[in-house]
Amino acid sequence: MIAALRSLIRDVPSVTIGMTIVMIHAVLAVFAPWIAPLDPIAAHADKVLAAPDAQFWLGTDGNGMDILSRLIYGARYAFGIALPAVAISLLIGLPVGLWAGFRGGWIDELLLRTMDLLRVFPSIILALAIVAATGQSLLNVIFVIGFLDAPVFARVVRAEVLALRGSTMVESARAIGNSTPRLLFVHLLPNALSGTLAQISVRMAWAVRVSATLAFVGVGIQQPTPEWGAMIRQGAEYMVTGEWWVALFPGLALVSLVFGLNLAGDGVQDWLGRRRTRR
Amino acid sequence: MSSTFQGFLLRRLAVSIPLVLAVLFVTFMLVRIGGQDPVALLAGPTASAAEHAAIRAELGLDRPLLVQFGIYLGGVIQGDLGTSWLSSGAVLDEIRGRLFITLELLLWGVAIGALVGVPLGLRAAARRGSFFDQAVRAVSLAGFSVPTYWLGLIAILLFFYFLDLAPAPMGRISAMAERPDAITGSYLIDGLLGGQWQSAGSALAHLILPVCTIAVIACAPIMKQARAIGAEVIESEFIRYARASGLGERRIRRMVLRNSMVPVLTFVGTEIIGLLGTSSLIELIFSWGGIGQWGLQSILNGDFAAVQGYVLFAALLSVVVFLIIDLAVWVLEPRGRGAP
Repeated sequence: MIAALRSLIRDVPSVTIGMTIVMIHAVLAVFAPWIAPLDPIAAHADKVLAAPDAQFWLGTDGNGMDILSRLIYGARYAFGIALPAVAISLLIGLPVGLWAGFRGGWIDELLLRTMDLLRVFPSIILALAIVAATGQSLLNVIFVIGFLDAPVFARVVRAEVLALRGSTMVESARAIGNSTPRLLFVHLLPNALSGTLAQISVRMAWAVRVSATLAFVGVGIQQPTPEWGAMIRQGAEYMVTGEWWVALFPGLALVSLVFGLNLAGDGVQDWLGRRRTRR
Repeated sequence: MSSTFQGFLLRRLAVSIPLVLAVLFVTFMLVRIGGQDPVALLAGPTASAAEHAAIRAELGLDRPLLVQFGIYLGGVIQGDLGTSWLSSGAVLDEIRGRLFITLELLLWGVAIGALVGVPLGLRAAARRGSFFDQAVRAVSLAGFSVPTYWLGLIAILLFFYFLDLAPAPMGRISAMAERPDAITGSYLIDGLLGGQWQSAGSALAHLILPVCTIAVIACAPIMKQARAIGAEVIESEFIRYARASGLGERRIRRMVLRNSMVPVLTFVGTEIIGLLGTSSLIELIFSWGGIGQWGLQSILNGDFAAVQGYVLFAALLSVVVFLIIDLAVWVLEPRGRGAP
């Protein structure tokens, strides 16, 4: 395990770079109250739309709130939505994928059809419609993102289990008298896990992006919450009048976190793929 | 051949229809169960309980949900998608009037993205591990990470505000320009067809920024997928055999291209559907006035019939796109014809 991690860090520099970017964001999120120079929702009425200067490093927005402080607090919303959403996806996706891959039957059929549905339908439209319809709260945003992404994990686990089902390992585990739940969770799950865990980073990137998009459209999180998508939404109208800092900086924060997550996830998948072909 | 071809078409439709129904059903139920109450919206704050009930009965909202869905479905089959509660217009007309406006943006964007992305991806696959390959990988990852709407805003800032090269992001044609006579609904094509050069020019100028934004976003996944597909084909045994037999590099490249085409094409189709949501956001930013912007606003306003129409449009578009792609694959790939 340690050796594998060491090889991952040594052989795939993109993982190190990606994880470093993500860790910086994580530190900002956790220690926001100590790092942020000002209160993120304190309006400085005399300093509305101030350009970046010595007092407001990244300028102020249309309410006269400090953009830098809002960015730092924004990291909390990005992680605060993406982490539980991906956890929900995993909690639903893992057991469904295990069972669908192992037993087939109607669960498998339902899973495949749901995947078809999500493949032929733009998920962002679905997310928007559902959040708008079911009530616009932070919790709903988390649940909708988690549910919409669960089939992705289920499919990955299913594919892994399907490949293992007929193996000698499963056969012998069965032969010495393992019960089905034990077979599933003790023998199959750990073997199916690596491919699934490699997905987490990429799916978190997706969750961060979707939650920001929802806020940008004005569904879910609203001003003056210091959330990046909502900040870009407020800044959109100032782009044609030249107050570029309002939308530019939250976008950069969003891009850097999503890029870091994607970079790390991509590297891990690449590395896993190479290890498999070597085996 | 024609009989198998028809059978193929029928099989495809048989698979598509349940999918469209499922999408419609899910959104219908979600929007009805959780949505804002349109009755309160329509009746106004001073209406009495009796008036509320009257409106409810008039809209058919007092019936069981499944019955409501059945009535809606019956209407859809006859081409009646209901009435938008905000504009009081028929949803079908609202969609029809905006169809080309949206398709113009989306299809140009994806077409340009594919024309750039596929060659770059295949080239990267042919030179795996090279600097070019690494650059393609980094660029496509970056493209994955940039939110479309933000990229559109940056494009506006740069090309409209700072450089003054692009027109204001407000609609599809300059307010000063003459509207060309409607033939297809696309200002550019109508202007060219009718010989109204000034209008066509203005329409083109308005198209460039949003189309390029969509193209950039479309390019990233297409590039990545083309690279993966190309790499797989290059490593396959028949290419290794061709190489071992001493075929020229140009012949081999043509073989790789031919054998990559089918999966690449299928992927581009998936992209068109995925970008439908993205292009809606671009429409919003550029005040484009197509189905996307209309759909997003309907979602925000809780306009049931319109949301339902938007979702139906998206589902039908994906069915049509996949059908076209299946047809193209059917023509390109004789091997798969036996399978459903």
